[in-house]
Amino acid sequence: MARRTSLPVTFVVPTIAILLVLSMVPTLYAIVIALQNRELSTPDYSWVWLSNFVDLFLDRRFLNAVWVSVKWEIVTVVATMVVAIGLGVLMFEVASPRLRNVYCLLFIIPVLLPRVSAAFVWKFAYHPLYGIATYPYRLITGGLIFDPLSKPGTALFAVASVDVWQWGLFFAVIVLKLLETLPPQPIEAARLDHAKRWQIHAYVTLPMLKAPLISLMFVKMIESLRSFDLIYVMTRGGPGVATETLDMYAFSQGFIESGKVSYASAMAVLMMIATVITFTMLWKRAQA
Amino acid sequence: MKPVRLAASLGAAFVLSATVSTIALAQAPVCSAPVKVLAQPRDGLTLLEDSKAEFEKLAGAGFQIDYLNENDRRAKSRADASTVGNYNVYYVDEANVALFASSKWIVPLTDYYPADYDYADFDPGRQKVATYDGKVWFAPLTGGGDLMVYRKDVLEAAGIQPPKTLDELIADVPKLTNPDKGMYGIALRGARGSGANVWRWMPFFKAYGGQWFDGDKPVFNSDAAVKATETYLKLFKDSAPGTQTGSWDESTGAFLSGQVAILVESTPLSGMAVDPKTSQVVGKIGFLPPPSPLPGGGYGHGLAIAAKANADDASKKCAGLFIAWATSKENEKRRLDAHQFGELNRTSILSSKEFADIYGADLGQALAETGKVTAVNFWQDPRWPDLGDRWGIILEELVTGTRTDIKGGLNELEAYATELAKKK
Repeated sequence: MARRTSLPVTFVVPTIAILLVLSMVPTLYAIVIALQNRELSTPDYSWVWLSNFVDLFLDRRFLNAVWVSVKWEIVTVVATMVVAIGLGVLMFEVASPRLRNVYCLLFIIPVLLPRVSAAFVWKFAYHPLYGIATYPYRLITGGLIFDPLSKPGTALFAVASVDVWQWGLFFAVIVLKLLETLPPQPIEAARLDHAKRWQIHAYVTLPMLKAPLISLMFVKMIESLRSFDLIYVMTRGGPGVATETLDMYAFSQGFIESGKVSYASAMAVLMMIATVITFTMLWKRAQA
Repeated sequence: MKPVRLAASLGAAFVLSATVSTIALAQAPVCSAPVKVLAQPRDGLTLLEDSKAEFEKLAGAGFQIDYLNENDRRAKSRADASTVGNYNVYYVDEANVALFASSKWIVPLTDYYPADYDYADFDPGRQKVATYDGKVWFAPLTGGGDLMVYRKDVLEAAGIQPPKTLDELIADVPKLTNPDKGMYGIALRGARGSGANVWRWMPFFKAYGGQWFDGDKPVFNSDAAVKATETYLKLFKDSAPGTQTGSWDESTGAFLSGQVAILVESTPLSGMAVDPKTSQVVGKIGFLPPPSPLPGGGYGHGLAIAAKANADDASKKCAGLFIAWATSKENEKRRLDAHQFGELNRTSILSSKEFADIYGADLGQALAETGKVTAVNFWQDPRWPDLGDRWGIILEELVTGTRTDIKGGLNELEAYATELAKKK
C-alpha cells in the first residue's frame, strides 16, 4: 500500500521543486536587487533597503505609469470581451455553419501574427499622411491631418485597438464555439416563451457560459499585462509619457535611460505584489 | 664533415626552420571563431556582408552582424556589455562612447588596429568624436555635422531666398507651409531620446548661448534653454505630420518624399537626397550650412572592441582586425561605388575625384563650409545618455502638448541633473 502511494510523490516532488526553483530564484533575486542600488555602469553597490520604493512614490513618471497601466488593463480587457461576445453572438445568430467556419479562419489570423509585426503594420496604418486607418478621416474632412499616435488623448486607444483586433477577434471564435456546445433545449424553451434574441443571450446562453467567460477574461487580463512589445513598437510610451506602462518604465529605467536595475527591480516587485493581490481578490469574487 | 660545413649546414637549417615557422605563423588564422557584432542597420554594413568570404580568407573565420534600430541597439549593447558579454564588437556612437569607455565595456581601439589600415586617414572630426579621455575607442562608420537642405523650386515659387540666419529661418518656415498642397515648411524630430529630439534641439540651445554644466554644477536651466525650446516648439507648428513622435526616419522620409521645404539634418541626408533610389526630389534641391548661428551637431558612429567577450589578447586582435577590415579603404571604396554617401569617412575617399564626379561640386562646397560650424553640442560625459534621455521625455511632452510649462520641465531636469552630478 505504501509503495503504491509513493509513486505520485516520486513524480510530483521533482516537478514542483524545479518549478519552485525556476519561479522563486528570479523572484527572490529581483527582491534582493530592489533593496540595493545597483546600476549597470558600475559593479559597486550598497544596501539601500526601502529607499527605491520611497523614491518610486515621489516619481511622477512612476505614478503616471501606474495610472496608464490601470487604464490599459481596463480598456483592453473590457473592449476585448465586448467585441468577443458581440461578434460571437452575431456569428451564432446570423451566419450559416459554413460561413461561420470562414469567419473563424479570418478571425484567428490576427492573433497568429507576431505582436511586433502587428504593431508595425498598424503603426503604418495610423500614419497621418499615408495610413489606411486615417484615410477615411482625410477623405471626410477634405485632407485634414489626424495623427492618433502623437495625440495624448488618442494614443492609448489607438494602441489598444490593435490589442483588441488581435485578441477580441480570436476570443469571438472561442465564444462562438462555446455557444455551439450549449444544449439546445433551454434556448428552444426560451423561444417558445417568445423571448427575443437578445433576451435569450442575456438571460440564458451567456449566464450558462459564465465560468468559461470569466476564465477568458482572466486570460486576457494576464495577457494585457504583457503588452510591452506592442506599445514599445507603436509609441515607445509616448507621446510624452501618455502610453508609458509600468513594464515599459521599468525597462526604460533599467536598460534605456539610466541603467538603474535596482530601481527597475523595485518597480517589478511592486507590480508583482499588486498583481497577486488584485488577481486573488478578483478570483475570489468571481468564485463567490 | 668539416666543422665549417657543419656550422653552415646548421645555420642553413636554422634559417630554413625559422622561415617556415614565420610563414606558418603568418598563415595562422587570426580568428578562431566568427566575430559577433551588435549594430544598427547601415547600408555600409549590409554591403559589407557581400564580402564575407574575403574576411574569412583574411582572418580564418567569418562574422555575424545582429541589427537593432538605434534606441534598441543602445539598450541591448548596454545590457550585454554590463552582463553576459555576448558580442565581440559593439556599434557605439558619440552619445555613449564615454559611458562604454569609462565603464570599461570597450577597450582602446588603436592597441589592436593593424597599422596597415591607416587610422589617421579618417576624417579628423570623426577621429575627435571617437576619442575620449585621450584614447581612440572606435573606427567610424558614419559621421559629420548638419547641413541645410532646401527645395529650390518651392522657395523660388514663394519668392523666398534660402535663409542664412536663424531669424530668417523662423520667418520663412510658416510662409512655406501649405497643407492643402502637402507642403510643410520644415521637419523636426519629436521622438524622445538624446540622439533624437534632443539632438535637433541642441543646436538651438547652443545658438542662444546655452551651456550644460560648469564643472559639476548644472547651468543649462537658463534663458537660452527657454528660448531654444520656445523656438523649437514654434517651428514644430510647421513640421510635417508624423514628426511629432518621429525621429530621423520620419523627418528625412518626409523631405525625400517631397513634403518639406527646408530641412536642417545630419549630413547623410544630402547623399540620400541626390540618389534617385531614395529621393523624389532629385534635381530640385540646394545645400547650405545651417542658418547662423546654429552650430552643426557633430557626431560619429563606429565599431569598438568589446571587453568582456574578448577576454584574451587573441580575441581582441581578431575583433580589431574585423573593425580595420570593415572600415578599410577598400571597403569604403566599395561604399562609394554603391553611392552610399553617409557611409564615407576617409579623407582619401572624400577628397577623391570619384567622389566629386558622383556628388558634384555644390555638395562638396557645402560640406566644407558646414565643417567650419560643426561642434560637439552635447555634454561629453558618461552620464550624458541619462540626462539627454530625461530631457528627451520632457521635450516630447512639450512637443505633443502633454505639458506646457517649459520652465517647469527645465526645473525638473535641473533637479535630476543635480542628483546625477553627485554620482561621479
